[in-house]
Amino acid sequence: MTTLLTPFHYEYMVKAILVSGLIGGVCAFLSCFITLKGWSLMGDALSHAVVPGVSLAWLLGLPFSLGAFVAGVLAALGMGWVKNNSRLREDAVIGVVFTSFFALGLLLLSLYPSNLNLRTIIFGNILAISDPDILQVLIISAVSILVLGLKWRDLLLYCFDESHARSLGLNTRFLHFLLLALLSATAVAALQTVGACLVVAMLVTPGATAYLLTDRFGKMLGIATLTGVLCGVAGAYASYFLNGSTGGCIVVLQTVVFLIALIFAPKHGLLTARAQRRAAAMP
Amino acid sequence: MNLLAPFQYGFMQEALLVGALVGAVCAVLSCYLVLKGWSLMGDAISHAVLPGVVCAYLLGLPLAVGAFVSGLFCATATGWIKSNTRIKEDTVMGIVFTGLFALGLVLFTKVETEAHLNHILFGNILGIERDDMIQTVVASLLTLLVILLMRKDLLLFCFDPAHVRAIGLNTNMLYYVLLSLLAATIVASLQAVGIILVVAMLITPGCTARLLTDRFDRMLLIAATSSVLASCLGVYISFFINGATGACIVLAQAALFALAFVFGPKHGLMASRRRLA
Repeated sequence: MTTLLTPFHYEYMVKAILVSGLIGGVCAFLSCFITLKGWSLMGDALSHAVVPGVSLAWLLGLPFSLGAFVAGVLAALGMGWVKNNSRLREDAVIGVVFTSFFALGLLLLSLYPSNLNLRTIIFGNILAISDPDILQVLIISAVSILVLGLKWRDLLLYCFDESHARSLGLNTRFLHFLLLALLSATAVAALQTVGACLVVAMLVTPGATAYLLTDRFGKMLGIATLTGVLCGVAGAYASYFLNGSTGGCIVVLQTVVFLIALIFAPKHGLLTARAQRRAAAMP
Repeated sequence: MNLLAPFQYGFMQEALLVGALVGAVCAVLSCYLVLKGWSLMGDAISHAVLPGVVCAYLLGLPLAVGAFVSGLFCATATGWIKSNTRIKEDTVMGIVFTGLFALGLVLFTKVETEAHLNHILFGNILGIERDDMIQTVVASLLTLLVILLMRKDLLLFCFDPAHVRAIGLNTNMLYYVLLSLLAATIVASLQAVGIILVVAMLITPGCTARLLTDRFDRMLLIAATSSVLASCLGVYISFFINGATGACIVLAQAALFALAFVFGPKHGLMASRRRLA
């Protein structure tokens, strides 16, 4: 019993668990919009594209969130511009732009070795998160939640049916950029916990899990946020005992929850689908 | 500064050769991927090979075998989940590949072979060992051979699967052939550029070529040429600036893409602007 409580004796573990839960929740909330919109690749791309911003911000002595955010927005604008001016498919353009940004970031890191460790960026290092970084994460989360709370109806309509949103007089260009900015901001926050390679999991998996469990968007938001928070907390907690990468543990846990939902979901699960097929086959 | 200095070192000569070979194979495949819209697939499979690599290491198998198996597993699992649920394909892919990558990471921290992880993730073309080089060369040549033999069928499959089915070719088979080729190519490139940048090698050359020509055979040629050029340029430049080689290769490819995007004679930015004016 006491061994189960040991992680809570360490201040860094408590901090890591709380911050992971918070980031998990915010990313999960956003993930409902991302999965509806079909922007999974965009989440992956932006989380890689922020890396040069992080290294430049470190070189200039600025807060890393600022650099990362600017790089993410620049990448998103670049993708939009190249796509509108060439005949390439959107996924190919996203691929070209984000790998270039990412390679630039890696090059900068290799040219100017800093205490900004490459592994920290790629895999995250929540256990060693510093207080100023926690403050940055708190600010990003608060702003994201506030914006999402105020605008979620508009964003929902935009994600479901862009042309309908436009016909109602909503500014879809603005909503598009708002969603991109939110995505960049949460990617920056998640970079700390799980690292650039796994951010996309935080931004996709909880939403997909919730989508399997419910047909109502309000409930979907609730379920996704709940699984996001729980997986963040439990993953960070488990990583203490496994002595393994925290980001890896969180994402593995999210995937396991997704698989459980995939098999056992009451309405859209594999078992239900099989039972329905069998019932339909019966005379 | 001696501009010929890089060529005097054995490891640089090897790096240039391996870089050029890997670049050519990736470029040829990238033409098909760009047409098929499978850019995300390259990204997903390249990440998903990690647990396979770790398991192969634990079992004492060649790393390439493990990587190949887990890459294919990712692709088939994605296809299976997609056809059995109402979730969109890109989302499913995101879930599957990150799940596998995270699993690989957790396994890796347990196994603790620090040096190797960096090589798999970021490539180690300058310090490539004899065995790895042979693996790379064999995988590359095999991939090139298969593509060469099946290029017509694959092209048709990428353009118009319904037509392929209509003329009696087996689309399922072609689907798996293309997937296996993709996995094999990624395995071949792991040592050179690493998991994280392989996706660039698999997208950018095809895009560059697509901007420059309307004919597929020319597209293959242009993609391969630009990719080989970029690989050599990247290796060469990284020697002088002492930067990460994989990153230099990818940036060289990005630069070539940018040139094609701006100055492409027919589909470039300048050309379309001139048309508008």
